[in-house]
Amino acid sequence: MTALLLAYSYDWSVIPRSAAFLERGLLVTIRIALLSVAFSLVLGLVVALIRMVPGPIGLIGFLYIQVFRALSLYVYILFIYFGIAAAIGLNLDPIPAGVVSLTLLNSAYMAEIYRSAIQAIDPGQREAARSLGLGGIGTFVTVVFPQAWRIALPSLVNQFTDIIKDSSVVALIGVPDLMYQTIERVSFYHRPFEFYTTVAGIYLVMVVIVAQLASRLERRLQRHLA
Amino acid sequence: MIVLAYQFDWRVVTDRWPQFVAGAWVDLWVAVVGFALACAIGLVNALLRTSGMRALSVPSFLYVQVMRGVPLYVMLVWIYFGVANITGITFTSFQAIIITLALTGSGYTTEIFRAGLSAIDRGQMEAARSIGLSRARTYGHVVLPQAFRIVVPPLGNTFVGLLKGATIMSVIAVPDMVFLANELNVTLFTPFEVFAAVAGILVVLVLFFSALVYMLERRLRIA
Repeated sequence: MTALLLAYSYDWSVIPRSAAFLERGLLVTIRIALLSVAFSLVLGLVVALIRMVPGPIGLIGFLYIQVFRALSLYVYILFIYFGIAAAIGLNLDPIPAGVVSLTLLNSAYMAEIYRSAIQAIDPGQREAARSLGLGGIGTFVTVVFPQAWRIALPSLVNQFTDIIKDSSVVALIGVPDLMYQTIERVSFYHRPFEFYTTVAGIYLVMVVIVAQLASRLERRLQRHLA
Repeated sequence: MIVLAYQFDWRVVTDRWPQFVAGAWVDLWVAVVGFALACAIGLVNALLRTSGMRALSVPSFLYVQVMRGVPLYVMLVWIYFGVANITGITFTSFQAIIITLALTGSGYTTEIFRAGLSAIDRGQMEAARSIGLSRARTYGHVVLPQAFRIVVPPLGNTFVGLLKGATIMSVIAVPDMVFLANELNVTLFTPFEVFAAVAGILVVLVLFFSALVYMLERRLRIA
């Protein structure tokens, strides 16, 4: 055992030698994460609004949130990329399959964030806007949403950290993202420890930066609300 | 090109239903063991974090940041391939996924326990100490029982998250339900049925546990 422990000699030089591959992968990861966050921000708001409609329409929104939150990204990807694609005879590319999966999962989370933010707005605001003669849509767009947005934004940005982390799973269907490039380099150099430690560090840095942004936004927006 | 030639054959799933249940059971118990370890690590870590000693609280803080910032998939291959490679300790694939879930989960449970502990009024601690209870007994009889009510609902949500995360285990060939579905897909080419079955089972499990957490939350709420 000790012999094995001492037998390993680290070779971190494989990392700089692979920098070009990792960089290419990182750009793909960032692109997928940004696309997914943009789509889920929009879809999440739509779902939240549907959810808040009383009656059967609201129930559809409720079911969407419950079911779409309940799957893991890996199961999403397998089901969409292999299952649905085969069933409807569609030749889906890995990147759209990954973005769709990330969007469906995270839009459900974001819908709940939007909903709690919208519900946190004092009903008096809405009543005041309506009694001033603003229509239902006008009230939402000009009065309710701008305030709810401020409450929701930090949590929405935090959700972005989950998207970045989850996006590593798209490597499994061949999207050439950061994780995929890393796995390729591991099989080339047989240096799993060096590569996986590095890639863990890269994901960690991305997550910490985004989380910092969220907490900074939170402090800033609360100052305006106070 | 769209070709509507897919023939649905649900017997692939119904004929092998016991195998799917057995696979789902693997996901479930691995998640339970990982969660139990995550709770143990999280509680100790939260006590360090709230100890007031910087030498203990700073490493604990960094630990949480790292565990929450590294993707589960990366953590899994890091432990299973990376750590095994340098130390010569070869974890079985079961051990690797359980350790991964415990580590990732502990990042979340630490924060939950910390919030629970700091929600208990300091006066409670002072009162217990002043009537002569030792520090350990103060925690055991006064602080932890009250913190417990606060931490149960978020811990339940963490468990649900770990259960979802556990489904990644088939990438290191743990024979869970996703592994089974992948194998059936490769041999029989019935991707829709098998992955729909897996998705369906996961949704049912997650909704069941979410409902349980919701009920616990209502019951434990301090009126």
